[in-house]
Amino acid sequence: MPVTYEQVKAVAAQLYGSALKKVPEDTKAALVRAHAAETSPVARSVLSMMIASARRAEEADRHLCSDAGIPTYFVKIGTAVTLQGNIRQAISDGFDHLVATIQPPILKHVTNPLTLERGHKGRSMPLVSFDLVDGADYLEIVCSPKGLGAGRWAALEIFSFPTLDVIERYVMDCVLKAGSQHCPPVVIGVGIGGTFDVCAKLAKQASLRPFGLINPEPILADMEARLLDAVNKTGFGPMGTGGDTTALAVHVDYAASHGFVPVAVCFNCWINRRAGARLYDDGRIETFE
Amino acid sequence: MPDIKPLVLPLTEASVRTLRAGDLVTLNGDITITAGLPTHRRIVEYMEAGRPLPIDITGDTLFHLGSYSRETEGRFEVLYMNPTTSTRFDSLMPGLIRHYRLRMVGGKGGLAMASTEAMKEVGCVYLSFLGGGCALLSDAIVSVVAVAWDDLISHYRLVRLRVADLGPLVVGIDSHGDSIFEQCSRTAEARLPEIARALDAERGRRMG
Repeated sequence: MPVTYEQVKAVAAQLYGSALKKVPEDTKAALVRAHAAETSPVARSVLSMMIASARRAEEADRHLCSDAGIPTYFVKIGTAVTLQGNIRQAISDGFDHLVATIQPPILKHVTNPLTLERGHKGRSMPLVSFDLVDGADYLEIVCSPKGLGAGRWAALEIFSFPTLDVIERYVMDCVLKAGSQHCPPVVIGVGIGGTFDVCAKLAKQASLRPFGLINPEPILADMEARLLDAVNKTGFGPMGTGGDTTALAVHVDYAASHGFVPVAVCFNCWINRRAGARLYDDGRIETFE
Repeated sequence: MPDIKPLVLPLTEASVRTLRAGDLVTLNGDITITAGLPTHRRIVEYMEAGRPLPIDITGDTLFHLGSYSRETEGRFEVLYMNPTTSTRFDSLMPGLIRHYRLRMVGGKGGLAMASTEAMKEVGCVYLSFLGGGCALLSDAIVSVVAVAWDDLISHYRLVRLRVADLGPLVVGIDSHGDSIFEQCSRTAEARLPEIARALDAERGRRMG
């Protein structure tokens, strides 16, 4: 039984809608832990509001943020899955359907960079990238409605044979530059190596990783722990008005590289919008956050 | 939880000056909002031409909040609102704060020191709204007082709303020159060498 155009269209719309309205469970739990650990009264108040806002959006079926972001989908195609129909078009049509039907309606944040005209769609929108998974009998879609309040602080620099301390110092420089601006506590994605484009994608995909998974690369698992500690010592705190919780997680991924090594850093704000699904060859659809 | 001060708008200069960075407040009364850079530029054009704004903000509020407004049966309704990044308006805000003697500005992420200076001069505070607080903040909307410049897309319009118990909001910059945002940046810069040393020590310990 193939994965069909209709299924993919419906899932593309559903993932976007749920990402706009629901903070992932792992993120809500992290906010509750942060609230319990905070020493700053103002920060505790702000974290309380965040927890209440997540609850209110869910129960009232409302948006968490007025910035619906730019539509971004990451698709992984299992080589053992059968596809029926135009799958890229299905994602685009699913997004169109969402724009036409979602309540409350979403604002126009997609911008033509040449004319600054705003709309819900535009050239290359939604942004969809594809990858292959050998042997898998599913099509996986991860949706990231990317608001630019946090997204704008992403950065990439290419270093010459950097040691780990140079890489970590660069991450801290990006954190200080973003300061109070990116709706902290944030999730920080870091990509190391590959090429310019691959490195940025590594960082972006690392930022979408669920909380609590141990990085299989021991050097990176250690780096994630010490960077999280370092970021939370800066004191920017929730919404940047001071406190112990500037980041909820730091996720790092890497690829082999030339001696000239790109390092990319990106941020997801505290609502941590992400939603995913696997559409199996046997008709099952599993969603995940 | 620190005390939350309920405020009734409009505020006098004297009452604004009693607020201190780090205070928590809620707002009751009428506020003016927009999230548009083109809107700010248009306000500056009106200001420079000496033309009255369609919604008077003199001695009042201007918050960096985007909203979804729509007109049905000749009346505007506002479905939701949420803050946007205030530093986008850094270059324009000092002039607007001084000219209109704004009592309250706000959004998220704060404003640069030039605005802090202007706020100190005229008696104005910056309020930090919860980004991602759309559901909570929108519950505070009582009614739509006015929507101006509806030739612009929804979140760029100049919108006047009546609100009740809007907040709590954090006083991020007060009228005495204290900015939590500036303080946080200075603190982080000052801590950076120590943070870097701790990173080195931890890395050394783990890597043997």
